[in-house]
Amino acid sequence: MKIFIGIIIFLLAWQFFSIILNVPLILPTPFDTFVSLEHLFSQVETYQALTSTVWESVLVLVLVVIVGIPIGFLMGISNTLYELFRPAIMIIQAVPVISWLALVIFLWGIGWKGPVLISFLSLLPLSIFTTASGVKNIDKNLIEMAKTYRVPGRKIVKTIYFGSLLPFIVATIEVSIGDVWKVIIVSEYLCGGSGIGVLISWARQYVDVPRVYALTIIAVSLGIVSERIVTLFFKKMMVKWQISS
Amino acid sequence: MANFIVKAKNMTKKFDELTVIDGWDIEIEKGQRVVILGPSGCGKTTFLKILSGLQKVDSGSIERRYERLGFVFQEPRLIPWKSVEENLLFISNDRARITEMLMNMRLKGFENYLPSQLSGGMKQRVNLARALIVDPDLLILDEPFGSLDMPVKFGIIEDINSLWNKRQFTIIMVTHDTKEAISLADRILILSPRPSKIMSDMKINLSVNQRDISEPAFIEIESSLMKKIFSI
Repeated sequence: MKIFIGIIIFLLAWQFFSIILNVPLILPTPFDTFVSLEHLFSQVETYQALTSTVWESVLVLVLVVIVGIPIGFLMGISNTLYELFRPAIMIIQAVPVISWLALVIFLWGIGWKGPVLISFLSLLPLSIFTTASGVKNIDKNLIEMAKTYRVPGRKIVKTIYFGSLLPFIVATIEVSIGDVWKVIIVSEYLCGGSGIGVLISWARQYVDVPRVYALTIIAVSLGIVSERIVTLFFKKMMVKWQISS
Repeated sequence: MANFIVKAKNMTKKFDELTVIDGWDIEIEKGQRVVILGPSGCGKTTFLKILSGLQKVDSGSIERRYERLGFVFQEPRLIPWKSVEENLLFISNDRARITEMLMNMRLKGFENYLPSQLSGGMKQRVNLARALIVDPDLLILDEPFGSLDMPVKFGIIEDINSLWNKRQFTIIMVTHDTKEAISLADRILILSPRPSKIMSDMKINLSVNQRDISEPAFIEIESSLMKKIFSI
């Protein structure tokens, strides 16, 4: 109930400021924005763009998990690998999106690959460092206990290492989901072939500000809903896995 | 003597330039209950790690003749996200033995509890159960009762003694507590401060009934043990 009151307060504040400002090019009214939103949902292109953005985001998340976690794991168990890989990953982390953009446009031109690669490179360092830090924080006493009882190495990795890592993996996914939409939409805006970012770019070109706002509402909703759903799904899956490992 | 389970000759262990164990000569017979008493930092836990193969000696030698080792750690070292039963299954797949140990350690009914749901005493019982399910030739206990209150502590020692009476496995325990030591030991080794040497090797001849802290024989042994400790 409180959340609905919060939304109503937000909408009233928006309406109030749009009337006070009276500059529709900067802040359109909620009414104009929702009319534009309704119009968007009546167009096939919107659904195509949504599908494209969702698909790219899921692909980025999967890539971040399957590439970042194993690299982070290796860096966590070996200090040598950590020191060897750390500079390269820190460089990837520090490179501005615009530099990647120049690279992918030369490489592939406009299309879906550019946003996916840029988003992947933006989120990869986080997943690697979070996983490595998780491995480094594994309780060494548990490992010593397992070695004392001559527990096979595979069982130690499966039960103790991965079990200890699960909270870090969940944290990586949670943080990545929060960021992936933003990065994907920015990348689509700059070099995408389709997607919400591309629609925002077109709306900007036609100076259709209510449409920009309406698309932003879609993007924000997508981010919040997906974050909730995926977090819930992963948490359940992880708990199941932790019990069965 | 061929009946030993552990035999060390001039065993020395250093950490960088710091000598912790300084030329120990020790032989522990199969079935003995040996307690090692010594000040903090004198290498008691290091000796237990050498015994269990987790650390190596720097000079001298150590011969180990056990097949199955049970290790009761100072802190329970239970896997936090695994239940009591799953913690035991991590070490052994012998469900019948696990059930038996849960009974012996009075943990029946707590199989599905997570470590966080157990009291300190119960966690130590799981720690002990885990060491015993492997049916050890050698049971090592590293200051296992430090955080437990007296009734719980002596309850567990009584359980260990009663299991030992059924099958005489070798026990090596490290502690600071003279009462714990006398309750369990046939033999008490007293160590000097670092670099540690074995300063005294004391035989304890007490019957099962005399291993009660209020028994005159117990008090007498404790008094002579204290004198030895303070004379070092």
